[in-house]
Amino acid sequence: MTERAQAVREEGEGRPVARKRPGPRERFLRNRRAIAGAVILVAFVAMSLFAPAVAPYRSDEQNFLDRLAPPGARHVMGADHLGRDVFSRTVWAGRVSLSIGLLSTLLTMLLGVTAGTAAGYFGGWTDTLLMRLVDMILAVPLFFLAVAFLALYGPSIPGLIFILGAASWPPSARLVRAEFLRLKVADFVTAARALGARDLAIIVRHILPNVVPVIVISATLRVGIAILAEAGLSYLGLGVQPPTPSWGNIVADGRVYLRTAWWVSLFPGAFVLLSVMAVNLVGDGLRDAFDPRMRV
Amino acid sequence: MARYILRRILESIPLLIGVSVITFALLMLAPGDPIAFLVPPEQMQSVDRRVLEEQLGLDKPAPVQYVQTMTGLLSGRLRSFRERRPTLEMMGEAMPATVILTLCALAVAFALALPIAIISAVRPYSLIDHVATVTSLLGVSLPNFWFALVLIFIFTDQLGWLPASGIRPVGVDGYPVGVIWRYLIMPTIVMALSILPPLVRYARSSLLDVLSQDYIRVARSKGLSEPVVLIKHALRNSLIPVATVLGLLLPFLLGGSVIVETIFAVPGVGMLAVTSALTRDYPVVMTTTMIASALVVVSNLLTDVSYALLDPRIRHD
Repeated sequence: MTERAQAVREEGEGRPVARKRPGPRERFLRNRRAIAGAVILVAFVAMSLFAPAVAPYRSDEQNFLDRLAPPGARHVMGADHLGRDVFSRTVWAGRVSLSIGLLSTLLTMLLGVTAGTAAGYFGGWTDTLLMRLVDMILAVPLFFLAVAFLALYGPSIPGLIFILGAASWPPSARLVRAEFLRLKVADFVTAARALGARDLAIIVRHILPNVVPVIVISATLRVGIAILAEAGLSYLGLGVQPPTPSWGNIVADGRVYLRTAWWVSLFPGAFVLLSVMAVNLVGDGLRDAFDPRMRV
Repeated sequence: MARYILRRILESIPLLIGVSVITFALLMLAPGDPIAFLVPPEQMQSVDRRVLEEQLGLDKPAPVQYVQTMTGLLSGRLRSFRERRPTLEMMGEAMPATVILTLCALAVAFALALPIAIISAVRPYSLIDHVATVTSLLGVSLPNFWFALVLIFIFTDQLGWLPASGIRPVGVDGYPVGVIWRYLIMPTIVMALSILPPLVRYARSSLLDVLSQDYIRVARSKGLSEPVVLIKHALRNSLIPVATVLGLLLPFLLGGSVIVETIFAVPGVGMLAVTSALTRDYPVVMTTTMIASALVVVSNLLTDVSYALLDPRIRHD
């Protein structure tokens, strides 16, 4: 759509439209917003990896003399109701929150790509069965499912990763399925089949490589959704349990003290916002680099 | 058209049965004991577990329980474990708050999305277009529970303008507009902002598509004024994809109501879902889940039907 608008504009200005189109890599590198997102994202990942060096305190280090201390020299982002350094907790929480976002997305994509491949390539009853399952999962709002699951089975990090992954694969499955439906009748696939290639070889060697952009883009955008969901569930007390810090549960810690000690809730929430924004910028950049009309 | 609608309704029945089986299995397989939430621990000794299990129907095998639960739900006789009254009655009390909130959020989001989309489609790459892009990015990246707290901090704690919890003051019944509007402002803003980005994106891209078509050029060359071309010719056709996105937004809004209602203590369906899950009130969990899913299924159907109504070129038979 952006491309189309661009084309319309260029036509209107009487400039030649034909020009050698740069490849996806150059287009991504030329996209300033995507680069900004990538830089922020790398910074967040580095912060989490090197948390022991970045955080001035341990995540559970209490200092009762500093209870609810405002941001200052000792605590750049203030201290919480137990005198724990908010900045240190937020840095340590990055490990937890980003890992959950990544691992649950990995599960989402694993399920989504497998189901989408099976449904799109084999068709028939496999397709019917899988797509009905997709419809069922899509009929239940994610938060209803996740809240019920975590409340009943007990909140835990593995539980969180499982339910986020298990509940959010349908959209990816649909995307991958659509790609397979399109590609399995393509000439190069027919040629491969004529040469005697088996199903597995056709799927893995011929079709999947062409689906990689769709998978990568939708996975990137999924990470953002997963980080937000984890934060929301942990805020409700159904996700990561204290004392293990996660961005969502630190915000919840500060809820009661909002009026007097806003810093406890403000900073971890801002980290969620920034990291998800960075992920989305990179995801949008990848989409624009590969194919702006892609509906991911 | 009628046949299409009938077929879709028939198709959605096995779908909803599937959802109910999965949800019920989830409840049955869950560890922990619903009775532990009903009886205080110190009285556990004196209570006859078996009588209580029989009362709640928990003594029967799972398939029988499933059938009883579903027939109870459909006939309205299914009762909550905790409150011992029909779950549909509890649902009926929770529904209005959620419906009011959802409609307000949709109205606000629409009222903002259409003008933004029109401006950024007519003037792409202008300042307003860029502002709209950035706002969209913010909207999809904003953790709604945190945004809600920021609003509460500003408008309740600092300025003291708006109430931060509930939907009406104590002692007031029903939903009188004159009273509840102050309670609705913050939750509405939070929900509206979360659905604004997809609305703007869809409306903008479909407007751009429509504006580049021949009949728009024809309308312009007939000498029609730009507002007439935009609103009478372009907007109507570009609303079709926007109608689809509405159907897709409903599950999102219902899911969001879980968090928004919990934060603002709005006694709606989202809050009911959370408290019933936390207290293992299985009949209420089944009721909220099934009604939410039924709403999603119906809204998907309405979306497809509205497609046909908005665009006579689409035929479903």
